[in-house]
Amino acid sequence: MSRFACPIALTGLGVISSAGIGLDAALTAVQSGTSCLKPVPAELTNSRQQHLWGPADQFKAADFIAPLKARKLDRASQMAVAATGLALADAGLDKGQYRAGQIGIALGCGFGGIVNSAELLGGYFKQGVPGLSPMLFPNTVANAAASNTSIEYGLQGPNITFIQRFCSAESAILAACRFLEEGRADIMLAGGVDELNPLMIRAFSANGQLQRAAAGFGEGAGILVLERGDHAAQRTVRVRAELVSIETIGYLLPGLAEQGLERLTRNTADCRVGMLSGVAPRGLELEQHLRHLRLQQPGLLLGRSLAMGGTVAALLTAQLGPGEQGLQLAASPEGPFYSLVLQGGPAE
Amino acid sequence: MTSPVRIAITGLGVFCAAGKDSAAYRASLLNGVSAIGPLELFDTTGFPSRIAAQIKDFQPEELFSPQERRHLSRTDQIALLAAQEAVAMSGLTQAYDPYEVGICIGGGVGGMLHAEQWLQAELAGQPASPGLLRTLLPDCSTTALARAFGFGGYQGSITTACSSSATAIGWSADLIRSGRQQAMLCGGADALARLTFAGFNALKVLDPQPCAPFSAGRQGLSLGEGAAFFVLEEEQAALARGARILGYLLGYALLGEAHHMTAPEPSGMMAAAVMQAALAAAGVTTDQVGWINAHGTGTPLNDAVESQAVKQVFGQRALQVPLVSTKPITGHCLGAAGAIEALATLLCLNQGMIPQTLHFRGPDPECDLEYCHGGSRASSSRIALSNSFAFGGNITSLVLEAAPPGGEVRP
Repeated sequence: MSRFACPIALTGLGVISSAGIGLDAALTAVQSGTSCLKPVPAELTNSRQQHLWGPADQFKAADFIAPLKARKLDRASQMAVAATGLALADAGLDKGQYRAGQIGIALGCGFGGIVNSAELLGGYFKQGVPGLSPMLFPNTVANAAASNTSIEYGLQGPNITFIQRFCSAESAILAACRFLEEGRADIMLAGGVDELNPLMIRAFSANGQLQRAAAGFGEGAGILVLERGDHAAQRTVRVRAELVSIETIGYLLPGLAEQGLERLTRNTADCRVGMLSGVAPRGLELEQHLRHLRLQQPGLLLGRSLAMGGTVAALLTAQLGPGEQGLQLAASPEGPFYSLVLQGGPAE
Repeated sequence: MTSPVRIAITGLGVFCAAGKDSAAYRASLLNGVSAIGPLELFDTTGFPSRIAAQIKDFQPEELFSPQERRHLSRTDQIALLAAQEAVAMSGLTQAYDPYEVGICIGGGVGGMLHAEQWLQAELAGQPASPGLLRTLLPDCSTTALARAFGFGGYQGSITTACSSSATAIGWSADLIRSGRQQAMLCGGADALARLTFAGFNALKVLDPQPCAPFSAGRQGLSLGEGAAFFVLEEEQAALARGARILGYLLGYALLGEAHHMTAPEPSGMMAAAVMQAALAAAGVTTDQVGWINAHGTGTPLNDAVESQAVKQVFGQRALQVPLVSTKPITGHCLGAAGAIEALATLLCLNQGMIPQTLHFRGPDPECDLEYCHGGSRASSSRIALSNSFAFGGNITSLVLEAAPPGGEVRP
C-alpha cells in the first residue's frame, strides 16, 4: 500500500563514490564485496592506529564542468553538479527539455560548506580582516551544492537542503516525494552529497569519532530523478523503481521502543532485499522486525557519510527485479531512522 | 496544492535580541525598538561594521547545568529557550502519541561559534578541547529539542541559509497535511558567529550603521541572532483537544531562483513567483493580503528587487500593501530569520497593526512603495505574507492569518 497520493517513479540515477564514477563502479564493488577504502594518512590522525577513509579519488571536476566555472564551486557542489548530470542523462532529460519551474532539487548535505568555512576563517585567524577572501563565503552555506546545481541545470522548482545526521539524504527524498505528490514539481532531483577533507579527519580524530560514527568515512554524491508516475508515463521513460513508502521516527522513546520499531518497519513485509544507509544503530532490536532480511551495508565498502542515502537508494534499485520490493533502512546511532521501500520497475 | 486541511498555530515562542519571550518581542515590535548595537560576543577589531543584534544579558550558566552547557551550543541553548515557551503555550505535551509529534528546525551556523575556537587553536598548533566540535552541525538543535520534550516523531533540519526556518515552518505544515505527523514543533535558531560576521563583512554587505531597509543610502544588513518556534496542528484536532488557536499558516511556497549564489534574480520575477505560488497554495487572493513582512535586508539590490516583485504580484494595489522590514528591530538572524519574522508577522496581525520599518534615511527612487517608514499603523488585515530570500536563490514565502476573534492569547 503506497503511502503516497500518487505513484513516485524513479527514472534516473547518478552516483559518484570512492569506487569511481557512475552506478556501475559502485555496484561492482558492492556485489563483489570489494572495499574501496584506504588508509588515512597517519599525519592526519596523530594516532598509531590505522584508520580508513573513502575519498572519491577518481572524481575530477574538469571531466564534467568547465574549469573557470569549476573554480567557483566547492567540492560538494562539483560532485552534486556532476552526479546530477549523470542522473538527468540516465533519465533521458536534456537541459532545456523540461519546464524550469516544474523541476526542483532536494539534497542532503552533511558537511557541505565546512571546507570553505575553515578556509575563510583560517585566513582571518592568520591575517586578521585583510586575510578574508570574499570569494569563499558564498559556498560556506550547506545549500551551496543544491543551489549551484540548480543554477547549472536551470532548476527553478522547489529547492531544499537537509542536514539530519546519517539520514540527510533520506530527509531530502521524503521532501522530494511530497513536492511531487502536491504538484509543486513534475520532476525532483533528490539524494545526497558529502565531501571529505583532511581537516574533517583531524576533527574526527580529535573528538574520537574516527573510532565511532566517522570510522570509514567516505564522500560522493548519489542523485535520483524522481517523477510523478503520470509524468514518467507521459514521456515514456523507463521506470527503474517506484517509491512505495517512506517511514521515519526521530528516536526510540524509552518504554515505547517497540511501537517506534513497528512504525518504522510496518511496510517492509514484502521486501526481499535490504540495505543499510548510515551507521548500524545501537540497541535497535531490528532482528525480530526484519528477520526475513539480511541488510547489506554498502557503506562499509564505499565509505559512510551523512548524505549517503542517495547512493544507497541507487544501489538498491539496481538490485531489484521487476516487481520486487527492497528496503533501505537509514539510521544514525541515536536516531533518526528512516525506512524506504522501493519496488523494481517493469522489465525493459 | 490548496488543501482543505487548515494548519493552526497553537504555540509560539521566541528568544532573540529584541525579546526573550513573546511578550517582550511584541513590545519591541509595537514600540519600534531596535536591538542592534555594539557586538561584544567576539573581537570585531578591524571590521568595517562592528554592530549586530546580539542577545545581551544572556547568562547560560544561570539557565543550564554544566553538563547541559557542554552538550549544547549557543544555538542549541536559544533554541531550547524559545521552544520551551512555544511548547508550554500549546499544552502539546501528552496531547498526542509522542511518535505523532515531530520537530523541524531551520538552521545556519549551528555550533560554529564554538568550533571556531577549535579551529583557531588547531591552526596555531595549540591544544583545543575536542568538545568544542561536539555540536557543530545544526541538526544538533533538532536532536536536543526532541530529547528535551520527548517528541519521537519526525526530525528534520533545513539549511537553506536565510530561508531555512521559513521553509522549516512550511515543510512542517506539509508533514501534517500529508498525515505523517499530527503536530510539529517548528522554527529556527541561529547564533552569531565569526564565520558569518567575517563573511558578510568580506562581501561588504554589512552596514556600519543599523540597517535601513528601503532607504536611500542603505549599505547593507545588520546581523542578529535568536530563535523562534511555532507549534502547528491540524485545526480540528487542535480544537478537539481544547487548544487555543493563535493563528494559521495558510500556505507556503519555496523555489530556487537558479540565478546566482549571492545576487537575487534582478527582474524580481522569481520573487514574485514564490509569493504568487504561496498565495495560490493558501487559496488567498491578493486583495486579501494586508501587508508583507519583507525579506528587507537593507542591501541595495535586495530591497529594490523585492519592491519590484511586489509590484508584479499586486499590480496597482501594491501601494496599498505595505512592505515592511522588521530586521532593523531584530537584526538579520540568518537561519532563524524566517521564523523570527513569521512570528513578528503573526504577533502584529493579532495586534491589528503593521510594524514600522526603522532607520529611515531618505527616499530611494527604486523603493517607491509604502514601507511604514513613518511609524507603525493600525490595520484590520487578517492575512499577511512573510518573505525569506536566501543565498543560493532559495526563496520562500509564508501566508499567515490572524487568530480567530477571541482566540488569541497574550503571553
